[in-house]
Amino acid sequence: MGPNSLLARATLMALVCLFTQGFLHANSPSLGGVAPRGIQRGTEAELVFSGARLANPKEVVFYNPGIQVLSITPVNDSTVKVKVKTGPDCRIGEHPVRLRTALGITEVRSLFVDPLPDVAEKEPNSDFTKPQKINLNTVVNGVVDNEDVDYFAVDLKKGQRLSAEVFGMRLGGTFFDPYIAILDSKRFELIASDDSPIGKQDGMCSIVAPDDGTYIVQVRETSYGGNGACQYRLHIGNFPRPTAMVPAGGKPGEELDVTFLGDPSGPIKQKVKIPADAPANFAVHAQDATGISPSGLPFRVVSLANVLEVEPNDTPGQASPGPGPVAFNGVIGKPGDVDIFKFPGKKGQVFDVHCYARRLGSPLDSVMYLAVEGAAPFASADDAVGPDSFFRVTLPEDKNYILTIQDHLKKGGTDYSYRVEFTSPTPKSTLSIPKVALFSQERQTITVHKGNRMASLMSVGRAEWGGDATLRAENLPPGATFACDTMPANLDTIPVVIEAAADAKAEGRLSQFRARPSDPKQPEFPSQFNQQADLIIGPPNQTLYWKYDLEAEAVAVGDEVPFKITVVEPKCPLVQNGSMQLRIIAERKPGFTAPINVYPLFNPPGVSTQGSNTIPEKGTETTLTINAAPNAQIKAWKTSIIANATVAGGPAWVSSQLFTLNVAAPFFAMAMERGAVEQGKETEIPCKITITTPITTPGKVKIVGLPPKVIAPELDIKADTKELVFKLQVDKTAPAGKHGNIFCQAIMQVNGEPVVHNVGGTELRIDVPIPPKVTAAAPAPMPMGKPAPAPVAQPMEKRLTRLEKLRLEQAEREKQGK
Amino acid sequence: MRNLLKSRVLAWALVGLVAAAGSKLMAQAKPAAPAPVAAAPAPAAPATRYLTKLDILPPQITLSTKQARQVVAVQATYSDGITEDVTSQAKPRLSNSAVARWEKNILLPVADGQCELIVEHAGRAVMAPVAVTKAAEERPVSFRLDVMPIFMRAGCNAGGCHGAARGKDGFRLSLFGFDPEGDHYRLTRELNGRRLNMASTQESLLLEKAAGKVAHTGGACFAENDMYWSSIVRWLDADAPNDTATIATCVGVDLYPKNSVLNGKGAAQQMVVKARYSDGSERDVTHLALFLSSNDASAKIAKDGLVTAGERGEAFVMARFATFTVGSPLIVLPKDYQFKWDTQTENNYIDKLVNAKLQKLRITPSGTCTDEAFLRRVFLDVVGTMPTVEDYQKFMANPSPKKREELVDELLTRKEFVELWVLKWAELLQIRSSNQMSYKATLLYYNWLQDRIARNVPVNEWVIELLGASGGTFKNPPTNYYQNETDILKVTENVAQVFMGMRIQCAQCHNHPFDRWTMDDYYGFAAFFSQIGRKAADDPREVVVFNSGGGDVRHPVGGRVMAPKFLGGVAPDLTGKDRRQAMSQWLASAENPYFGTNLANMVWAHFLGKGIVDEVDDVRVSNPASNQELLDELGRKFTEYKYDFKKMVRDICNSRAYQRATTTNPSNELDTRNFSHAAIRRIKAESFLDCITQVTTTQNKFPGLPTGARAVQIADGTVSNYFLTTFGRATRETVCACEVRLEPTLSQSLHLLNGETTGNRIKQGDLVGKLLVAKKSPEQILEEVYIRCMARKPTPEETNRIMVLVNAETDKKKALEDAFWAVLNSREFMFNH
Repeated sequence: MGPNSLLARATLMALVCLFTQGFLHANSPSLGGVAPRGIQRGTEAELVFSGARLANPKEVVFYNPGIQVLSITPVNDSTVKVKVKTGPDCRIGEHPVRLRTALGITEVRSLFVDPLPDVAEKEPNSDFTKPQKINLNTVVNGVVDNEDVDYFAVDLKKGQRLSAEVFGMRLGGTFFDPYIAILDSKRFELIASDDSPIGKQDGMCSIVAPDDGTYIVQVRETSYGGNGACQYRLHIGNFPRPTAMVPAGGKPGEELDVTFLGDPSGPIKQKVKIPADAPANFAVHAQDATGISPSGLPFRVVSLANVLEVEPNDTPGQASPGPGPVAFNGVIGKPGDVDIFKFPGKKGQVFDVHCYARRLGSPLDSVMYLAVEGAAPFASADDAVGPDSFFRVTLPEDKNYILTIQDHLKKGGTDYSYRVEFTSPTPKSTLSIPKVALFSQERQTITVHKGNRMASLMSVGRAEWGGDATLRAENLPPGATFACDTMPANLDTIPVVIEAAADAKAEGRLSQFRARPSDPKQPEFPSQFNQQADLIIGPPNQTLYWKYDLEAEAVAVGDEVPFKITVVEPKCPLVQNGSMQLRIIAERKPGFTAPINVYPLFNPPGVSTQGSNTIPEKGTETTLTINAAPNAQIKAWKTSIIANATVAGGPAWVSSQLFTLNVAAPFFAMAMERGAVEQGKETEIPCKITITTPITTPGKVKIVGLPPKVIAPELDIKADTKELVFKLQVDKTAPAGKHGNIFCQAIMQVNGEPVVHNVGGTELRIDVPIPPKVTAAAPAPMPMGKPAPAPVAQPMEKRLTRLEKLRLEQAEREKQGK
Repeated sequence: MRNLLKSRVLAWALVGLVAAAGSKLMAQAKPAAPAPVAAAPAPAAPATRYLTKLDILPPQITLSTKQARQVVAVQATYSDGITEDVTSQAKPRLSNSAVARWEKNILLPVADGQCELIVEHAGRAVMAPVAVTKAAEERPVSFRLDVMPIFMRAGCNAGGCHGAARGKDGFRLSLFGFDPEGDHYRLTRELNGRRLNMASTQESLLLEKAAGKVAHTGGACFAENDMYWSSIVRWLDADAPNDTATIATCVGVDLYPKNSVLNGKGAAQQMVVKARYSDGSERDVTHLALFLSSNDASAKIAKDGLVTAGERGEAFVMARFATFTVGSPLIVLPKDYQFKWDTQTENNYIDKLVNAKLQKLRITPSGTCTDEAFLRRVFLDVVGTMPTVEDYQKFMANPSPKKREELVDELLTRKEFVELWVLKWAELLQIRSSNQMSYKATLLYYNWLQDRIARNVPVNEWVIELLGASGGTFKNPPTNYYQNETDILKVTENVAQVFMGMRIQCAQCHNHPFDRWTMDDYYGFAAFFSQIGRKAADDPREVVVFNSGGGDVRHPVGGRVMAPKFLGGVAPDLTGKDRRQAMSQWLASAENPYFGTNLANMVWAHFLGKGIVDEVDDVRVSNPASNQELLDELGRKFTEYKYDFKKMVRDICNSRAYQRATTTNPSNELDTRNFSHAAIRRIKAESFLDCITQVTTTQNKFPGLPTGARAVQIADGTVSNYFLTTFGRATRETVCACEVRLEPTLSQSLHLLNGETTGNRIKQGDLVGKLLVAKKSPEQILEEVYIRCMARKPTPEETNRIMVLVNAETDKKKALEDAFWAVLNSREFMFNH
């Protein structure tokens, strides 16, 4: 399925309202939820989308096909009514949905499509003796309030199946761990389900009625909690509710016989037609004359042959044979059971060996061993992907191999199914937009306004390959163009900018981003965009409980916004250990005066940027300070600045163009000598200059970090400067002690722009003068014999270092002492 | 308001006064009676006493090597149970004086051979075999067997002296000698040449300090040239050798006599201590043992083991030697105390054993309580509620002579019985939510426990399931036991304390000073919990607990890997097995002598207000059972009943011992440990709140539970309210039985008097209002209030005096509610009696 066909949308006819004129469309629409939470497939329904800033809705964006939008009716800024129709073959289960307005796209929420009709829960139904009577094969839409217990009664004939499955956590609304049970009329609990491997916190259970009579389905929060937000959809019917499937995988396009396990009526055999282009979360629903299970069992679509276990296969001698390293399927049928397979392998073959069990909804906590026949295992794994096992192996010999699977706690049961796949490691790329805030969907969609730009970071996970990557976008809205630089091999995140033409139509698309090796000699590996939408977090320590994995990025061209920003591309480089002021210019539409906040989007390695700045109200310009570390990577980087401003009650985001930031080496290096001086005296700090980049325009160098009461003049640096000497005047009151962190700041000029260098680095020691000796003060008549110590005071050819000076002083003292 | 207060106070005073006059609490409220000894009839001559038994202690004597000696005591037992140390009066002789010789009360070897020690007294003669071997041989001096015991006896290695963690004044010995190797090192190698003077051994600092010849903070611990001095000199003269690895170790210690009943102040009894060694040898260690008494007022014990009787009472005298502490019970009676035991009706084995002890103590038990008192007591104890008016009327009208038994049987079928025990176990298993344990896990764990107890699953079965549990904390809730506490040593200590009633914490750092547990025992037991694996489960709140099959516990002294060894049992071979499962199988079996008795003691303590071992989780040699025979029998029965709680409860509740009145007689007035009268007990916080809720016809609301739920149903230990906290609800932060606080406090009284619980609930429940609407007369209402709260009708005097107050008030409802309030604040309501 291509992204084109993924997009189902409805365009709203002209919104004709009396108060349209002057109606400012709110930015950054936000969707709180959709009610009802589910609809019956093959029917029409009216949905209420509620949230904030939903004015001027344009389109309902579904990620999966099958739901047709008939009309979109805005009610107010926070409510939109949507009429939809689902086809009879619409996919059962959750449908991620967003709303696009004229100015943006909302977060993703979910809508469920179910095969059964809905019925609303009617309180009071919290007394076992006064349950709510419902028809079999309905979906109850209900709420569990605090300590609430809801009872529903259905009539059954003996031998009829009764299945119940609740969607609570899976609705993606709030942290709600439901518990369900089926009781007989005498209050005996026939079966109960709190959690399930398939539904996680959501329970599912099924019985075959032992007698004619009324049966009660109970639903509550597992620990008698609950609140008004704890909505559930409880499926009650005689549909099959198996809990496992063997084999749980097959080849694309293949028609396969599978057996569903765990249903109270016994194993159910079914033919499965595997689509040629199945989505990543492909699932198979059990279906028979009584109905279809409300949630499917995950199914692996892989081009691997299936081998099914043949019991008994508990010892290597009884191992179920396979033609080679393929997909091995089976069930750990009883506690203590061990399943063993045997297959021939070739020396040097490399495999990723995954045991799919919990990932397929099996209760099995797998432990997996691989051995050369007759030898001890050379690879083993317990938990790698959740409780599922994984190892990568290189087969050591041309021999038969023994694969062993068992439960970690030696448990087993009819639905402890598993599937072990041997696949060769293949290169692929996964693209995503990094989150800007934990558990948030903020800026996970891209809205680019007409005649404007929007930038985002894009991450590329390269599996089994490395090197520079080239990114591209597919299925962008018409009129939108994509720009980004080549992603260097050492990075996995770069900025991308999408620009919309001024005359582009306001439209949305589910776009796809791809990456390929920049090296044209390399083939393009499969690449896929993935977005994780975090929906529910809970204890302990803010753990993610429910999310959606979306395989396309919602990109829209939105209506114009009254401002635009441009970065004045620096004509000079940013040198290592230097800094720069980046100018950002705002263009404002007449009348738009709001302050504009600007933020850096991307920092090349070793570069840091001021976190944000604001173009003040009515202002048109601001700067961001950029600093480069001494080890900043030298390269001409492409980056962008993003900005927002409040437009009609919501933040509107735009970005600058993709501009070049040239990180370069400093023009010269400087070695500063250490200084030592007494209070009230002068000293010099000589600095050796090594020019590495020819200096065309003289620059200014000043010494920075001097202690108070110490001054030094600014010096010039020219093309031929080899040494600079700072003359320091130290006041009598200058603080004594060692003063570190003294360096030079050089401002060089390139194309009329300042290139700020921070170079050198030294320390200055200021001593308190030694008080003159009182007794020694008397024999002053020193200048009698010799004609004064002229040689010392004479201008010296060579400037003495501190050490040399000290030596000299000492020599002088010794001489005087004699 | 002022009026209200006045009338309340008046009513309260009345209830208090009248209740005191009419109820069984009266006796307790009286000023303390004179001491029982003084109240006892005047002593008379022991006209009928005659000698029934004469014992030589120890009954067998072996003397091996030249150094051997044996202190001998002779104990006479008389027809009235009195015992007497007659060593000095008795005439000892040896059948062959060439083999051994008698010197004062000490037997010494002469030559190899066998003979008999014959002792004659008051016309009776008894004989003890004496075997002498290696009489001519010197026993080689040993650091562990000869020197180390002196450190303990002289107090050198006690915690306050050189046994302190950092020693004292620069010299350190291991506390109570848990590390002989280290002690030898510190004596001979540390500060070489100072502590020991090998050139002139008698001038060693060790000896000079200990004998007080040079300044020593601890003063003189023994005298120059006494036996302790000589032993050390002998060791020094032999070049202060360390022992070989094969040196015999002490495997047991015996203390004689096993029982004593001393007649009057000043009576004395010499104790004799014998140690048994791993090489089969025996030694008299009376001179090396450290003696202690649990009750110095009744029985003071001197350093040499001579007990001198003091005031009337019971004592437990103990001797500590090597890693062992052994004890012997001792009763002190007033001189020639005259006592007549009236034959008591005995309902079952419990009464037989309780009475046997009382008879020994010369205590006459109280009579049986009234039906009304029994009704209220058994309701509070078995189901934690007050009997309703209907319960009261039904029981009082029941003509059956077995109506008490019938009531107990009926109550045992109630759900409330289960809830009360779930609460008790929830406290011991520390069921509370925390950072490690989500509320969901807590509730699942609690529900699991409740299910086991409700289905009357034998305790041993669910304890095995609990302690051997593996799996997810949601899917298999008993695994929460290991999630609640993840520290290996703490788990070890908790298991010992909860299921065996032992506090082995001391042995983590040194051998237990008051019990038999050594560090080897401690770390050997901890090894069972060293292979607990934990890993994440699907649900972030869940943890999978499993047998990791690897991991050991090392002894902190020397770092040896400790093989798992049952506490007080064997070290099983557990290669390839789940250590926890093996441990739980042993723990909850008859093989473990502490399991059954500990559980029985817990049940007993619940019903009688005090354990036979008290506290119930403090079983140790130095804290003996008040009635060991009873405890053993209860433990045996419990095991025989396959750990069926209900049967145990039935036995206890049907016993006379349980059904006694609270009123006392002069002989049992001061008895608190022998169950001679019923104890007045504060009602546990949860039950008390439930009772107030019940009698005021109101409802509770606790977080996580529906309105109307009872306080005993609260699953999570962290949930509490002001009332429950004030009345001592356990926070379940530790496994200690002391977490449930049952002592009355001022804040409790103030809360009931002024707090919102009583006054508000009387208003909320509007019982009086409803009864007035039902056209009940004030007298009838008063009677109903009395029955609801006290399980009895008001006495005519109470009725008359309260009715005066009620009649004087125009607002009858207010007056009656004040009377109700006064009843709720009466001691009779607040206590179980």
